[in-house]
Amino acid sequence: MRPAHLTAVLGLALVLAVPWLAVTGFALGSLLDASAWRALAQDPQLPQALGLTLWTGLASTALAWWGAARLLAHGFVQRSVDRLLRGQPWMLATPHAAFAIGLVFLLSPSGWLLRALSPGLTGFELPPPWPTTQDPWGLGLILALVAKEIPFLLWAAATQLQRDDLRRRWRSEHALAQTLGYAPRAAWWRVVWPQLAPRLRWPLLAVLAYGLTVVDMALVIGPASPPTLAVLAWQWLQDADLAVNAQGAAAGGALALLVLAAALGVQAGQPARGRARTDGSRGRPASTTAATRAGAGRVLLVALYLAVLAALAVGSVAGLWPFPRLWPEALTLQAWQSVWSSGATVGTTLGLAAGSAALALVWSVAWLELAPRRWDHALRPLVYLPLVLPAVLWVVGLYRLALWAQLEGQWAGLLLAHTVMALPYVLLTLSPAYLGTDPRLAAVSASLGHGRASFLWRIKWPLLRRSLAASAAVGFAVSVAQYLPTLYVGAGRFASVTTEAVTLAAGAQRSLTSAYAALQFALPVLAFGLAAWVGRPRRFTVGAP
Amino acid sequence: MTLTVHVARLGSARRPLLENLRLQAGPGEILTLMGPSGCGKSSLLAAIAGTLGDVAEGAQALRFDGTVSLDGQDLTHRPTAQRGIGLLFQDPLLFAHMSVEENLLFAVPPGPLAERRAQVAQALEEAGLAGFGPADAATLSGGQRARVALMRALLARPRALLLDEPFSRLDAALRQQFRAFVADQVRARGIPAILVTHDAADIADPAHLVELPHAG
Repeated sequence: MRPAHLTAVLGLALVLAVPWLAVTGFALGSLLDASAWRALAQDPQLPQALGLTLWTGLASTALAWWGAARLLAHGFVQRSVDRLLRGQPWMLATPHAAFAIGLVFLLSPSGWLLRALSPGLTGFELPPPWPTTQDPWGLGLILALVAKEIPFLLWAAATQLQRDDLRRRWRSEHALAQTLGYAPRAAWWRVVWPQLAPRLRWPLLAVLAYGLTVVDMALVIGPASPPTLAVLAWQWLQDADLAVNAQGAAAGGALALLVLAAALGVQAGQPARGRARTDGSRGRPASTTAATRAGAGRVLLVALYLAVLAALAVGSVAGLWPFPRLWPEALTLQAWQSVWSSGATVGTTLGLAAGSAALALVWSVAWLELAPRRWDHALRPLVYLPLVLPAVLWVVGLYRLALWAQLEGQWAGLLLAHTVMALPYVLLTLSPAYLGTDPRLAAVSASLGHGRASFLWRIKWPLLRRSLAASAAVGFAVSVAQYLPTLYVGAGRFASVTTEAVTLAAGAQRSLTSAYAALQFALPVLAFGLAAWVGRPRRFTVGAP
Repeated sequence: MTLTVHVARLGSARRPLLENLRLQAGPGEILTLMGPSGCGKSSLLAAIAGTLGDVAEGAQALRFDGTVSLDGQDLTHRPTAQRGIGLLFQDPLLFAHMSVEENLLFAVPPGPLAERRAQVAQALEEAGLAGFGPADAATLSGGQRARVALMRALLARPRALLLDEPFSRLDAALRQQFRAFVADQVRARGIPAILVTHDAADIADPAHLVELPHAG
C-alpha cells in the first residue's frame, strides 16, 4: 500500500475503532462494581425476571426457527420460494415496537379480536378483565417476537437460496434425491435443509440474542410485574439513584453473559445442524394436508401483519369507539393533527435517520473500497459488537462516552449514537454486493485509460446504485427504530416517533399511540420505497433492433 | 509498435508460476500463449496490463519481476490507465448500466462529442452493428456482445492488445467468425497482440506460438 492509501485506511479504522472501543470499555467498566452485582443477586425480582427472559427468548427463537424451516420447506418443494421471499421486505421493515403496539390493539380485551367475537360468541358487553396483552406468561411477547423474526430468518435464508451457485446445486441434488425414490419433502429435509441450516447459524444466534435482550417490544407487550430482565435493567438505569443505575448495568452484564452462553450453546450443540439421516426411509408420498398446512402458515403470517397494520391505521383515526363495536363511531384526524403540530418529533426522527444513514454509508463505502481484505476481516468483529451486546448494556457505554465527550443530551451525541447503531447493519447489507463486484471491470476500465475516480463514479457506483440505496434505507430504518439510545443518550430531551410511540403505549391514548406507531412503520417503508425508486433498473429506449 | 515482455519471475512468495520467459509481438502480430489451466497464463496478462494487484492479495498475492516495454519504452511501473494496453476477457464485461453506445463512448479519448460519436458509429458499422447504439447491451446476442467488447477495447486506441481466452464462451460457428474478426482488426491497426488459450484451434499463427510449461 502506498503511504496515502495506508493513511486513509488507518484513519477509517480509527474513526470506527475509537468510539466502538470506548463504548465497549465504558460499558464493561460499569460492570466492575461488585456491590451492584451483589444487589442484583439479592434482588427479589431477579429469579422470576431471569426465568421470563429465558422462557420468552428461547421459546420465541425455537418457534421462529421451526416456522421459518416449515415455510422454506413448503416454498422449496412447491417452487414458490421466490414468491415467499418477495413478500418479506415490508414485513422486515416493520419496526418491532410498532408491530407490538398493533398486536396489542388486536389482542387486548378491548381489541379487534374480541370485538369480532362479541357479544355474539362471548356474550361480553364490556371488555373482560383479561391479562391478554401484558400477560404474566409472556405469551404476547413470544407471539410478537416469532412473527417479527420469521421474516428475518427467511430473509437470511434468501441470501443463500438466491445465490445462483447454491440454488442450482441444491435444486439438482433435490431432484437427484427424488430419482432415488425420496418424496419431495423428505428430499428437502434430508438433502437441502441440512446444508442450508448451518449457514443460518449466525442469524439464528442474532434472533436468540435479540429475544433475550429486547426492551422496547417487551415494554409494550411483555409481562409487567415482574418484567423480563432486560426491561428491569432499563428501569433501573433510569432510576434517580446511582446505586440502582449500577445494578441496572450489572443486569445488562448478566444479559451479555446469557447471550455469550447462548452463543456457545449454538456453537457446541449445533442445533442448526441437521444430522444426516441415512436410514433410507423415503418419506410418505406428497401429502396434500402437509402442503396445505404450510401454505396456510404463510397466509396466516401475512394476515397477521395486515391486521396489525390495519389496527394501527384505523386506531389512529378512531374517535369514540365503544366496545364491542367493530368500527369506530366517529373518525377523526385529531391524533394526526397533534403529531403534525409536534413537528420537532418528526424532524428529529428524520434528521437523525438521514444523518446516521448517510454517515454510515459514507464510512462503509470508503472502508469497503480502500481496506485490504485482511484489515476488513480483522475489524468486522468490532463493527458487529452493537449487534451482539445487549442494547441495555451497550447504551450504558454510549451514554458514558457521550457524558465524557460532553455530548450527552445534544444532537451531536444522539447522531453519534444512532450512527453507531446503524453502521453495522449498513455494512452488513452493503458488503456482499460491494465485495462481489467483478474485479475485471476495474481492469477493463483502467485498460481503457480511465483512472480510479472515473471508474468509481462512472462504473462501479452507478452499477451498485441499487445496493447503495438499499443499505442506506436499512440504516435509516434502524435509526428510526432506536428507542434506548434516543432516550438515554438524549437525556430525555429529544423525542422521536419511536420513543413517543413506546411511551404512549403505556397510556390510554389509543389514537395518538396508533398514529405514532403507524408513522414509525411508514417512515422506513417510505425510505425503502425511495431506495427502490432510486435503484430501479435503467429502462433503455430500445432493445436490439 | 512492438510489445516486449521479460518475465524474470511471476508467482506468489512461495510458488513461482513462470520464470525466465521472453515474449515479443510485432506490429499486427498475434502471439499465442498455450498452456494448461493454472499455469499462469492469465496472471501473465494481468502483469503485462498492470492489474495484478486487483486479482488477489495477502498470502496469494502475486508478484511480477521483469519488464514490459512497448517500442523500447519501459511501462513496467506505469499504472494500467497510462499503459495504453487494451484487454479482452472471456466475458464481454459490458457495463450493464450503459447502452451499447455509452459503453463505446466511455472508451473513446476525450474530444468534441460529435467526433467521438462519429467514431463510435463507425466502429458499430465495422462490427456489423449499425443502429445498435441505443440498445441495452444485455439484449444483444453473445457474438454481438463479443464484438462490442472488442470495438470498445480498440476505440481507446490501445498500443497493444491482450486477449484472455476471448473465444471460449462462444459456440463453434461464432468462434470461427470472431477469431477472424479479431485477427483482421489487429492486422488493420498494426498493433501487437498477445492471446492466451488452451484450445489449439485458437492459435492465430503457428509461427508465433509459445507453449507454457505446467506450473510447479
